Amino acid sequence: MPTSLLERQISLLEHLTSAGAIFGDGALRARHLQGLDAALLRLEARFSHEKRMEKINSTFPRMFEAMRGDDRADMVRDFVEACPSVDIRRIENARQFYDFACARWQRQPPQPPYLQDIATCELAIADMRMKGKAQAPQSATTGRRFRRNRDAVFLPCNYDIRPIFEGRMADAVERRDLMLAILIPLRSDEPTILEVPAPVYVWLVELDDWTNRAALAATAELEALISELAEYGLLEVRGH
Amino acid sequence: MIACKTIPAVGIGYRSGIAEWTRASLAHFDVLEITVDHCISSGETVASGIFDLVGRIPMTAHGIGLSIGTDVPLDLAYLDQVAAIVERLRAPAYSEHLAFTRAPGRDLANLLPLPKTEKVAEAIIAKVRVVQSRVPVPFLLENISYLFEWPESDLTDVEFLNLICRETGAGLLLDVENLYLNAHNHGFDAHAFLNDLPAGIVKEVHVAGGVTVHKDFLARPFLADSHSHPVPDAALDLLDHVLKRHAPETVVLERDDRLLEFDEILDDVRRIRARIAAMQSGSIHANELVGAAD
Repeated sequence: MPTSLLERQISLLEHLTSAGAIFGDGALRARHLQGLDAALLRLEARFSHEKRMEKINSTFPRMFEAMRGDDRADMVRDFVEACPSVDIRRIENARQFYDFACARWQRQPPQPPYLQDIATCELAIADMRMKGKAQAPQSATTGRRFRRNRDAVFLPCNYDIRPIFEGRMADAVERRDLMLAILIPLRSDEPTILEVPAPVYVWLVELDDWTNRAALAATAELEALISELAEYGLLEVRGH
Repeated sequence: MIACKTIPAVGIGYRSGIAEWTRASLAHFDVLEITVDHCISSGETVASGIFDLVGRIPMTAHGIGLSIGTDVPLDLAYLDQVAAIVERLRAPAYSEHLAFTRAPGRDLANLLPLPKTEKVAEAIIAKVRVVQSRVPVPFLLENISYLFEWPESDLTDVEFLNLICRETGAGLLLDVENLYLNAHNHGFDAHAFLNDLPAGIVKEVHVAGGVTVHKDFLARPFLADSHSHPVPDAALDLLDHVLKRHAPETVVLERDDRLLEFDEILDDVRRIRARIAAMQSGSIHANELVGAAD
């Protein structure tokens, strides 16, 4: 019985997204694909893979830089085998890789151990850039109402990975639990990454809606905190 | 119809990676080609950067996400999104590749060829009519570059394209680089291909520059459509040939890699303009015009 074009297209894509075709160690087994040139399919598979990995690499440049070469090659190969391409979008391919990596790191702790924190930050930054989240101008620090900047992303981390994002030596990365806040300032493409002390984070989470300054028992300390958070862009302040 | 300084209008494909440079360099271009999928799925930042340019420079609409060749019904919701974007861009036409990129469960995000048979052409014809009914501007099909052939193909590239365009009235977005690569990789005569196209069918043109791929598993080197390097003279020679028999409204340079080589991009635009000017005047030597444009 002749096979439909759709069946052959499915077989072809299964082949082109397989590790065997991409890395050149698999034969062209599918009956539906007989008559196609295996070497040219291998080239096609490799081109498509490189294009996909470019999307992923550009999302996680610091994570890949921090990985050992062998680990990187093994991980990419395992990723290809476990997660064929299902979406054209850069962010979706990055998310697919991130989910795969996190599951792998559950079984096999990453080396260096702060890789997951880097990946989490890089994915959050990519997501923010894509959604166009930008920090509103925070010139006002003395307004009557304020709320948490909803575009800021808060990430609990096990390592202080800010040196990696600041271009400093990786050996400056310190093992400690902390909360990082990520923002992309207005008219900038570069993210700002700040540490937020736990009590401040708890307070910020509560400030989901506009809050009147007058409703709080104003102290000099609180006023200073509001001004500082507004200056960093973690609080939006309005009204005079 | 594109209202701009020259006919054909010359420009580049808009890429968000060089959005700032593009905005600062609009004086060099008559038109920008917008990939509608970037407006749909690359996020608000990219989309607003594109829509901000409406009214500042004419734009054409190009797609990469339709996968018209996948043997399933078209995604009508996607087409409706395309129609809305085309309207917002005020684009005079919408183009897509005669190819497939996905099948249920897989999306290669890479253009793959179709078997060139009458049966497949019939299926594509029906889908082109659907596109034409949903997107209210002329629809153009683009010839892709391809590495492999389906064994049952019994039509040539140009026969397959002509059949679909004739039956649907769709125009052709002729990618001269793809034609150049295919002719080299698959051993046919690119000029014969051009001669076999009905006069006037080419409405838009793409040009780009690729690389030669050498792999130990290939019997011979292959030219790849990497959109990464200056346009080869051989592709510009094909552009000359196109301009003799067709009146495309736009000639768009595609660049997707080594994007920061701005001088190369501008030089390619100048070379394209020089070819057009030389062809139109019939007397000016192309190289003289390149010098004058500087």
